[in-house]
Amino acid sequence: MEVLVLLSPLIAFLLIAFFGSRMGDMASAILCVLGGAFSFIFSLFATFKALQQPFSIKLYDFLPLDSYTLSLGLYFDHLSSITASVVTFVATLIFIYSIGYMSNLFGQWTFKFYAYLSLFLFAMLLIVLSDNLLGIFFGWEGVGLASYLLIGYFHTQKKAANASLEAFVLNRIGDWFFLFGIVASFYLFNSLSILDIFSKLSQVDKTLLGLACLLLFGGAVGKSGQLPLHTWLPNAMAGPTPVSALLHAATMVAAGVYMVARLYPMFESAPESLKVVALVGGLTALFAALAATSHTDIKKIIAFSTMSQLGLMFLALGLGDRVSAMFHLTTHAFFKALLFLSAGSVIHAFHHHVHDIYETGGLKRYMPATYGSFLVGALALAGIFPLSGFWSKDMILSTAYGVSFFWGVWVSVVSFLTAYYSFREGFVMFHGREHFREYFEEEPHESPSVMVVPMMVLGIMAVFAGFFEGWYAGLLGEHKELHLNIALLSVVVGLSGILLAYLVFVRGLIDPQKAYEALKPLHTTFKEQFFTERLYHKVLAGGYMFYSKLLYSVAERQLIDGVVNGTYSLARAAGGIFKTLQAGKLNLYALFLSFGFFVLLLISLFWR
Amino acid sequence: MIQWLVFFLFSGIAVLSALGVVFLPNPIYVILALLSVLVSVAGLFFIAGAELVGAIQLLIYAVAVTVFYVFVLTAVPWEKAIKKDPFYRVEGLISFPLVLALYVEMVLVFLIGVSVSPKGQFRELITKFGNTEVVGAILFSKYFLAFELVSLVLLIGMIGAVIIGRKEAQTYEDHSS
Amino acid sequence: MKTIPLEAYLIVSIVLFGLGVFGMIVRRNLVTVLMSMELALNAVNVLFVGADSHLSLVDGQIFALFIIALAAAEAAVGLGIIIAIFRLRKVDSTDEITDMRG
Repeated sequence: MEVLVLLSPLIAFLLIAFFGSRMGDMASAILCVLGGAFSFIFSLFATFKALQQPFSIKLYDFLPLDSYTLSLGLYFDHLSSITASVVTFVATLIFIYSIGYMSNLFGQWTFKFYAYLSLFLFAMLLIVLSDNLLGIFFGWEGVGLASYLLIGYFHTQKKAANASLEAFVLNRIGDWFFLFGIVASFYLFNSLSILDIFSKLSQVDKTLLGLACLLLFGGAVGKSGQLPLHTWLPNAMAGPTPVSALLHAATMVAAGVYMVARLYPMFESAPESLKVVALVGGLTALFAALAATSHTDIKKIIAFSTMSQLGLMFLALGLGDRVSAMFHLTTHAFFKALLFLSAGSVIHAFHHHVHDIYETGGLKRYMPATYGSFLVGALALAGIFPLSGFWSKDMILSTAYGVSFFWGVWVSVVSFLTAYYSFREGFVMFHGREHFREYFEEEPHESPSVMVVPMMVLGIMAVFAGFFEGWYAGLLGEHKELHLNIALLSVVVGLSGILLAYLVFVRGLIDPQKAYEALKPLHTTFKEQFFTERLYHKVLAGGYMFYSKLLYSVAERQLIDGVVNGTYSLARAAGGIFKTLQAGKLNLYALFLSFGFFVLLLISLFWR
Repeated sequence: MIQWLVFFLFSGIAVLSALGVVFLPNPIYVILALLSVLVSVAGLFFIAGAELVGAIQLLIYAVAVTVFYVFVLTAVPWEKAIKKDPFYRVEGLISFPLVLALYVEMVLVFLIGVSVSPKGQFRELITKFGNTEVVGAILFSKYFLAFELVSLVLLIGMIGAVIIGRKEAQTYEDHSS
Repeated sequence: MKTIPLEAYLIVSIVLFGLGVFGMIVRRNLVTVLMSMELALNAVNVLFVGADSHLSLVDGQIFALFIIALAAAEAAVGLGIIIAIFRLRKVDSTDEITDMRG
């Protein structure tokens, strides 16, 4: 029964993949939604069961080795079942939303899109539910494949094709680490089953365990777009907006955080690795927040916000607080999906032609529902009481202050920036002058209800999910009491960020244009993500291309082709010499004949 | 003793005429020299006691084949050939040491071969029945298949010569048109 | 009756054969090349028959007969080819028919 959690998206995928062209795009979309919805219902069922008693299901043994059998199985405990429910819930809403979003593309093989979406959900559920590292790796690769296909869905656009390739390559680097992490774990524990690993944790060498953890974390870095491997995440916005929402809220990037949380006992046994996790997460959080303040693309701002929030989650994990990280992941799934869907609604209103926030403006009048959803999402993201973001971020903040004042201030700065950039986007898009009149003739209109309703539902969840904090923390571990002063600080920081954005972009207290002129180098630095993207593209990829071209022109063209062409000219020259012997004259042939006879006789004389 | 005299006579004529075959410029003289070689070789056959082969040599070679050559020489304008240099002097110079080395080698090989060869078994038969009968008996028993094959080869050669030499022979130009 | 020793036939045969080979190499006219070949064939015949008288066999004579027959065939075909070449190309020397050169 619980297997159907995993299988219903897979069945949907297979049906759409094989019969989608005959069923039509609408039927494929409905099938995809049904796959997600059934998966959600079954996962709720499984959650209720798992909350009583964690259980595991053996599905299939596919490779018996000497001492261990590689198998596929599911393990439902509190963490995995709740995460599966959240993932399927958000994913189902996004699927419904995508019917409206993609409606203008129906009839253009859009069933492929739904097949990929189902595959994406299936792979993510495999990561969430698998009881061993190999299953996680399968899902890991499946997520990478589906993300590649979906980011590059508009494959006729060069930007999208490049973005999908970049995502694939950077994920590949992460996956490489992850694979070696799995190999190291197997070497250490002689087992890939998560429960086996947890039971043997005290018996292994701490240094090697730390190494294995770092390798596994390298996979999470690639998947979650953390600092060294982050450039694909903003560029992945070239895909359709439901994909971005799915990627950022429910599946892909959450996989990294979830994996670290799932294997958290391993990381806890090797505390040195947690410091790396914290450092990477903290750096990414600030870095992405700064980048988000300067970007103007509707979706890229939210993408950087995701990076920043994931960085906060990794920071919380690194500081030893799994509960707040996972809770933030859950609430973040709701409000980030909400933000993306609202942004997609705006883009849909402009028929996918407008992607810059400064080309919109004043949309409050035209799209009240979208405005409301965006406002709720942004407030939750900013961490304003009593929305869900407040509770989860508050937990992280209190953990950070609990560990050291430095990290507390760090998280506060990130929170301030988060509030600022999210409301900057909101104010520019929905208030102020209607810039879109210069680019766009029609009046923008509210999105159809098939898109609005999922936004509403997600909005409700984004508001109320925070109240489950106590319950969730109690399930996963210790429950921390709220410190009033930290809660106050968090709200004040969030409000001040909103205030700054309000003053600048609504009141016009500081002219953004003048500020931009004044702070241009800083702005450029942030916008270029501290030039990391340029570094990767120009220096690493460009250098690789340069050396490839160099090798092509020297080694390939000169050396190898030289040898090949040299063979030709050598053969030609040799033929030129030898053909004079074969002059076609009968007498010369007779001469050679007699010479051959001479040699044969010579041999017969001396070979007796 | 008289045998030796006759042998030297014939072999001397044969070698001298062979020199003529190789070095005379005029094809007509070459044919005459060749005829002289063939006749003297037939004489050598008679000395060796092979009357049948000698007779056939005279009949077929010295008459029929030589007449072939004469016919062909009348068909091609041999006067033109005389005007050109009839020899390749460079190749001759190159091949002369080679031919000498070939001589030495062949002598060595044959001398080695003579020292290990068996002695005859048919002497009584030959003296009893005469050479020709023995040759005929063996030719039609032991070498019968080869004999038939040679007759086939002769037939094919004849047909081939006729087809090649025909005036209506199809040429490549005819095919390509 | 004392027969002529094999070595005498050998010498004659080798001299004739070498002259035949030399003639094949140096002669320019096609017909004379063919005649040099006849010379070499005759040299082989001499050797066969001489060896026969030395060994008191008749097999060599039979081979000599075969060689004569084949030489006749070869002369027929070879001369036919020469006539055909001459008819097509109006040439009769070996340095003018070098179409097969590499």
